[in-house]
Amino acid sequence: MSYVKIEGVSKYFGSTKVLNNISLSIEEGEFITLLGPSGCGKSTLLRAIAGLNDLSSGDIYVGDKKITHLPSKDREVGMVFQSYALFPNLNVFQNIAFGLKMEKMDKEQYTVKVEEMVELIDLKGKENMYPGQLSGGQQQRVALARALIKKPKILLLDEPLSALDAQIRRTLRNEIRLIQRKLNMTTIFVTHDQEEALTISDRIFVMNHGDIEQEGGPRSIYTSPETEFVARFIGNYNVLKKSELETTGARLVSENELFAIRPEAISIFPLAKEGHNMDETINIICEAEVVMSTVLGNVMRFDMDVKGIGITVDALNESKIHWIKNGMTVQIAIPIEECKGLRIPS
Amino acid sequence: MARTGSSKSKIMLMALVPLLIWVFAFEIIPVFQMVVMSFQNSDGLGFTLDQYYKGLTTSLYLEAMKNSIVISINSSVAAMIIALFVAYSITRFTTGIRDQLLMVSNMMTNFAGVPLAFAYMILMGNNGALLLLLERMGVEAAGSFDLYSQTGVTQLYIYYQTPLAILLVYPIFYGIRTEWKEAASLLGASTWKFWRYIGIPVLLPGLLGTFSLLIANALGAYATAYALTGISFNLLTIRIAALVSGDIFPNFQLGSALAVILAIIMIFSLVVNELMLRWSRRRGT
Repeated sequence: MSYVKIEGVSKYFGSTKVLNNISLSIEEGEFITLLGPSGCGKSTLLRAIAGLNDLSSGDIYVGDKKITHLPSKDREVGMVFQSYALFPNLNVFQNIAFGLKMEKMDKEQYTVKVEEMVELIDLKGKENMYPGQLSGGQQQRVALARALIKKPKILLLDEPLSALDAQIRRTLRNEIRLIQRKLNMTTIFVTHDQEEALTISDRIFVMNHGDIEQEGGPRSIYTSPETEFVARFIGNYNVLKKSELETTGARLVSENELFAIRPEAISIFPLAKEGHNMDETINIICEAEVVMSTVLGNVMRFDMDVKGIGITVDALNESKIHWIKNGMTVQIAIPIEECKGLRIPS
Repeated sequence: MARTGSSKSKIMLMALVPLLIWVFAFEIIPVFQMVVMSFQNSDGLGFTLDQYYKGLTTSLYLEAMKNSIVISINSSVAAMIIALFVAYSITRFTTGIRDQLLMVSNMMTNFAGVPLAFAYMILMGNNGALLLLLERMGVEAAGSFDLYSQTGVTQLYIYYQTPLAILLVYPIFYGIRTEWKEAASLLGASTWKFWRYIGIPVLLPGLLGTFSLLIANALGAYATAYALTGISFNLLTIRIAALVSGDIFPNFQLGSALAVILAIIMIFSLVVNELMLRWSRRRGT
């Protein structure tokens, strides 16, 4: 029995359809991510769950309760915003306590709870500081504590890390995940950053133009994209037409017209006179010219030209690949099983 | 590099000279002169506190101070209340309408003094067009309205203070972020509780600051009331004017003392403004 159920949800802004008959379900304690480019409808869906947007049609259930038409304040959801949205006139303690104060809880009672929260987010000693005196990362922790203190049924995170530096983003990402696990909090996370989505989620829903293009665990989303959009959005996939793939010498028995190949699945080796020892029954072997090589840190990216078709190959940046130079002709091997057939979305 | 930098900044400082001369000649020296004169006797000699004593004990001047302060507070309060609603509704319009409304407001802010007084006389004077019209329509109360009374002058003040208040209050409303309202409602706060705990406390420093600016604006006003009532309406600015120009026996020293008192009242209201601003900055808004 799923905990959060979204059934046939649609939303129009004027005549523009931003959510197209979306259905999904989430288990209790699960951490799911809505991933997609800006304008794909992910934030609209999140805000609809929070009751900050209404829906044109469809229903939302939490537990057994239908919350589609409840006002925000009665939905028992906590939310963290990209801009933190802390109350500037209240200090850390008062910000976190706000939700409990609204419930008319006694100060003695909520003080204990707020102190627990402050400990959880590691901001002890900063209770009397105002949001303007905190760093972005600290502000976002306070926002998290404020959202969690009422023990909401779902926690909604609307691009909570986007405004932060890369370093803090990574740390806070891990902290959010740890806290979520500790509290077994059902969480919906919205982001446009695929790396963030892959590292943090139990399950990812990739959205595009108001539709869910694909759902699955991080590994399956990354290794088996089902559509061209997902392949391009989630990684640096080579997306090739069947005819293009066939020019490289491939003989594919497949219905699909479009294929995605992960750049790191392809291997490079020299044009050896004695040939190669790759198994041609499971690999496509072809000659390629190195057009450009880029250092990405631990990975080297090579842009190759195979009979006029551009193919990107990623290899670990280790000394044994340093013989590869621009302008060189090399051989590449594409494992046939890594050529993932893509469906054309209806 | 450092040398070029410092000689460059010296040249830049040279550009300040005309401004400094101007400030000295027309601001500092007159103010200094005024303060000095306020401590002299009526023949312009010696050092005495007589002028202040006279200013602070004569019932005519005390009444003028009271009137000035009362009319400033009343017109500022009224203008603030109107501006709160108008400015908030301006923030809800589209950019196009908003800009037009602000332009009108801007124009009206500058429609003060003599032209405004005459406009009011034509509309609401003893034979004012609007009052006659209302009387014909059977509104009895219109007949008893006296533009040349305190009520009338207060109305004029409200008229020119309101658009200024709108211009000052409207940007403050932009300080209220939608996400705060959303976050508050998700935490169980009603609209009323949002305004009580978040909205109004956030707006308050800005509003109090605006209020003190309005007070200063009204305290210093002179032409509007003078054009309307001559020297018969007892305001501090009008008393000062009478002492230095209108009276048969001008008394510059007493006028200076009253002007210093007026300046102190004004500085007080501006200091309050500054304190409010600091209060809001401390909280990082």
